Amino acid sequence: KTRNEEQLKKLQFLETLDHLELDFWLNPSTPALPVDVRIPAHSLQAVKVFLESHGIEYSILIEDLQVVLDREKQDIVASQQMERSSSAFNYGTYHSLASIYQELDNLASEYGNIVSKIQIGESYEKRPLYALKFSTGRGNRPAIWLDAGIHSREWVTQASAMWIARKIASDYGNDPSTTSLLNNLDIFLLPVANPDGYEFTHTTNRMWRKTRSKNSGSLCIGVDPNRNWDAGFGGPGASNNPCSDSYHGPSANSEVEVKSIVNFIKNHGNIRAFLTLHSYSQLLMYPYGYKCTPPADNAELNTIGKAAANSIQSLYGTTYTVGSICTTIYQASGGSIDWSYDYGIKYSFAFELRDTGRYGFLLPAAQIIPTAEETWLGLKTIMEYVQDNPY
Amino acid sequence: MPGFRAALPAALLLLLLSSFPPAAAEQPPWPWTPGAMHALNPSDRHASRAAWTALHYSNYHEASPSTLRALRQVLKATVKIIPGLGVKYYLQFTTEGYINGENAGSCLATVLYLKKSPPEVYIKCAHTQDKKQIQEEDNKFYHYLHHQTKPIIANNIPDSHGNIDRAHLPLWGLAIAGSSYIMLEKSTENLGYFMAQVKAVKQRIRKDSAVEFEFIVLLHETPTQKIELCHMHLIWTLSPPLRVKYICTSDNHWLEDGSGQDYGSAAGLFHEKEGNF
Repeated sequence: KTRNEEQLKKLQFLETLDHLELDFWLNPSTPALPVDVRIPAHSLQAVKVFLESHGIEYSILIEDLQVVLDREKQDIVASQQMERSSSAFNYGTYHSLASIYQELDNLASEYGNIVSKIQIGESYEKRPLYALKFSTGRGNRPAIWLDAGIHSREWVTQASAMWIARKIASDYGNDPSTTSLLNNLDIFLLPVANPDGYEFTHTTNRMWRKTRSKNSGSLCIGVDPNRNWDAGFGGPGASNNPCSDSYHGPSANSEVEVKSIVNFIKNHGNIRAFLTLHSYSQLLMYPYGYKCTPPADNAELNTIGKAAANSIQSLYGTTYTVGSICTTIYQASGGSIDWSYDYGIKYSFAFELRDTGRYGFLLPAAQIIPTAEETWLGLKTIMEYVQDNPY
Repeated sequence: MPGFRAALPAALLLLLLSSFPPAAAEQPPWPWTPGAMHALNPSDRHASRAAWTALHYSNYHEASPSTLRALRQVLKATVKIIPGLGVKYYLQFTTEGYINGENAGSCLATVLYLKKSPPEVYIKCAHTQDKKQIQEEDNKFYHYLHHQTKPIIANNIPDSHGNIDRAHLPLWGLAIAGSSYIMLEKSTENLGYFMAQVKAVKQRIRKDSAVEFEFIVLLHETPTQKIELCHMHLIWTLSPPLRVKYICTSDNHWLEDGSGQDYGSAAGLFHEKEGNF
């Protein structure tokens, strides 16, 4: 703050000294007005001495501007993230179908270089079946298939699939193993394999499991989509009663949701692994379900499964049991990984995610992200193995 | 035809095929000699099913919402066929608190599945909680419920997103304890149960020291995947036994009207009926 013309002239002289690199925010114009200056650290001593020797009053407004700037930047980034999560998609909560489908578009647009949205068919009630394709290459690369939500009440699976989708996209280029994975393989992810059922769990019955197809000759609706695959179809562990929650349907692939996946896999022709998410029970299973005899690749699949279960456990201590469907959960015919395995996709695994019975299907939203994080580690272990073991 | 061995005469085979129940729970073809103990892989579904049966027994008989347990992992399991009587499982497993999810120690149990009556269970669990602390917590639960001037009414515990209001935790606990009685009675070697949700609960205020509730609970049946709806009436006096009366309607019944009706409509029952069954 200058008191007179003479002091003002001194300040104006200071302005001319380029080597000091002074940044005058308020230029010295008249003695009445204060002058604000940003002084770089290396000039601080010199300026202080100058001002003091000429009796010019000064006060420090901001001690260290850099600190303030850094914090401000942090705040901006944080609020941007908050803005995104509050107005866009909170991965730690359960979402409607519409909200999920909106986020698929967001992911495809945000990570357009590696993510694209594809439609593999339509549900019984004509809802689109949207999947994400993760690809860094051209042509028909060997690929991994991952689906969730084939049983609509298993909400943690659709929710985890969304988190995993964002994780894969954002890790590419940052995480070595994901980067290597996508440099060699494509990934197809179907987060809501049964959209009609999912919608129904939101509007009417949270415990709905099946599709919503009409059954001729019955008032009961829906087919268990995981009894509808062409693998031991109609055998033990599936019901022929349309009112049952494990009704296998009138014939294999009668459900358009199932048929769409089958068609996609067959048309692609280069799927190397078939992975599917269910809940609950914390199990990691390989074929078979329709029969209790072990598959030819039993030993290898068991080894991979155990490695994946270890990866899952490494994060939060969550323990998974590994085994074939028949021995681990129950004999169940017409299941998806039995079909994929017999079709020739050797690395076929089914996950049953958290928990083991306390909350069951109603897993608290607070557990979505931890579940997704640990599940991703297990999936990654399998995918890395697939990458390293072409066949 | 899966599950059937070759060498049967055609006529007999036909007879067997026609009597094979279409939607039945699986029948394990135990190849073991009766009377002898056979080790089971701890990851075998029959072992975890038996362990849960034992826990249903304990969760009901303790009549203590703060000592409800859930299965963590089966450590050891053996099974013995007792000809003419049933199948007996011998189990060692770890548990966690049903309400808080924390380690609740390990248990030893035997579960004898009989042909025509509910399973017979013996179970002994290590105590990880201080007995006094348990009593205090149960007392807190009890007094909260007992001191209501207006009957508590609630729906959907947990809700669709898995959330439970703090105030509803004691209700969840009581429902689990009461449902455990139902689940114990229904459990077989091949059918297991979990309490999926409390659809509705209504308190009946009493003048005496007991606490009384009517519940509608959803039970998840495995491996059939059926959701069973049960109307349960429960009286709790802090110490065992928990008095439970119930009636269950299978999933089929509710779907026959074709509308896929929400089970919540059954909560309307509470507002219409006053009497006991």
